[in-house]
Amino acid sequence: MMKRLLVIVVAVICFSWASVGFTGDLMIFSGAGLIKPIEEMRTKFADHHKVIVDVHYGSSGEIFAAVAAGQPCDVLIPGAEKYTEDALKNGWVGDTITKVVLHVPCIAVPKGNPANVKGFMDLVRPGVRVAIGDPKAPAIGRVARKMLKKAGIWDQATKNITVYAPTVNQLLIYVALKQVDAAIIWGDLVTWAEGKGKLEVIPIEKQYNIIKTIPTAVCTKAANRSLAHKFNEYIASDEGLRIWKKWGFEPCKK
Amino acid sequence: MQKVNIFKISLTAVTFLITLLLVLAIGSLFVVPSLEDIRQNIWNAEMRYSLKLSLVTGLISTVLVMLFALPVGYALSRFHFWGKGFVKTIIDMPIAFPELVLGLCLLLLFGNTPVGKLLSALGLTFVFTKKGIVAAQFFTALPYAIRIMKSTFDYINPRIEFVSRSLGYSMAETFKNISLPLAKNGILASTVISFARCIGTFGTVLILAGGSYMKTEILPITLYLNISYGNMGMALTSGIVLMVVSFIAIFIFEKTEVGL
Repeated sequence: MMKRLLVIVVAVICFSWASVGFTGDLMIFSGAGLIKPIEEMRTKFADHHKVIVDVHYGSSGEIFAAVAAGQPCDVLIPGAEKYTEDALKNGWVGDTITKVVLHVPCIAVPKGNPANVKGFMDLVRPGVRVAIGDPKAPAIGRVARKMLKKAGIWDQATKNITVYAPTVNQLLIYVALKQVDAAIIWGDLVTWAEGKGKLEVIPIEKQYNIIKTIPTAVCTKAANRSLAHKFNEYIASDEGLRIWKKWGFEPCKK
Repeated sequence: MQKVNIFKISLTAVTFLITLLLVLAIGSLFVVPSLEDIRQNIWNAEMRYSLKLSLVTGLISTVLVMLFALPVGYALSRFHFWGKGFVKTIIDMPIAFPELVLGLCLLLLFGNTPVGKLLSALGLTFVFTKKGIVAAQFFTALPYAIRIMKSTFDYINPRIEFVSRSLGYSMAETFKNISLPLAKNGILASTVISFARCIGTFGTVLILAGGSYMKTEILPITLYLNISYGNMGMALTSGIVLMVVSFIAIFIFEKTEVGL
């Protein structure tokens, strides 16, 4: 009895040791909003090259800070170019920045559009409950504040903003559950929910909108540089772009 | 010569190993940031706001939790009534629930439903508000408090209450003058654990109250927000403050010697 127990204990320890000590061949840091296309590309790339690819998803601010803190990262894919540019200035990524797809902000409203939001200026109409991302956490929060400031309506808008959500997913839940009348969110994030009939998308007028590009870059400290470059190129390849399009992203014009 | 007991030694060794790992994990929270960093972070406006809001909401929630835990714990311990098994299961459920699920349930309930509209009309709006923080903490901590109160009353010999009844006290008088004083330690333990649980509630608050910066920001939200901002110093400081609160709570709880 005692012996058998010991064998089990030793086996469990060995097993957990093996699974903890085992790390993938490639470590990707990606913005949380990009999870759907990146997951598909990760699987395809891993199958094709017979390697293990790990992805850490977080807010752009979080993954940027993780790279800054020297956590092992091979390829960085944040939600806006600002992050890769800052990383390049600090020498954390090499001169490998590739613009991949456009990130277009839009207004999401619950099904039926209860507050009758027709355009960007409707966000400051008294009584409209608005949700935006926390301006310091997800990239969409920063962009939302920038757009409202650019339009000169930030101060009025703050009266209507009922919640500054730390994660993009919360914005989706609150719109779908009709807890807010409108939310500023990435267009690619809502295409899927719109298809399911949970919410409607109102485009933001050109003069107010700020369109971002999603970049990808190889980190200077990448452990497996040639593989990292391959993944970096794969994301912007024709096959990669097809996957991005499938999930509602618009490719950058080359 | 005494035979070396392998069984005893190996079990003690495992216990020490786990304790060592925990001590290292907790210790690293204190070792990484510099003292100067912590001092600055504790006094900045965001931390003061969050600490104050945590203490105020935590205290209100704890009082509310105890107001409900005492009668419910007593009822579950002493009375037999129709549907008791069902009631016990439902009340215990949030313990096994992930906080995020509880938050989602409350968001749905207090949202666009007749219940939510009725409460809103009474001035009780819970979605994205500080009242929402209290509601979230209340429902997260309540099952723990009820459990402790029930087991406390379970350990009090009903014969003492029978004697009190036979000497002329009514049921309510017995509860007030006999059962409550006897349950003193349990009430203290339950209060302390509820408070710690309230202060530490994260997922429920995040979903129901939104977790907005300097608006519905309590300590665990400060920790989370600052991880998203990439501001590790602040994140670690809020972690330390939370750790100190739970340490004090557990210390007092152990002193009261109540079983869970």
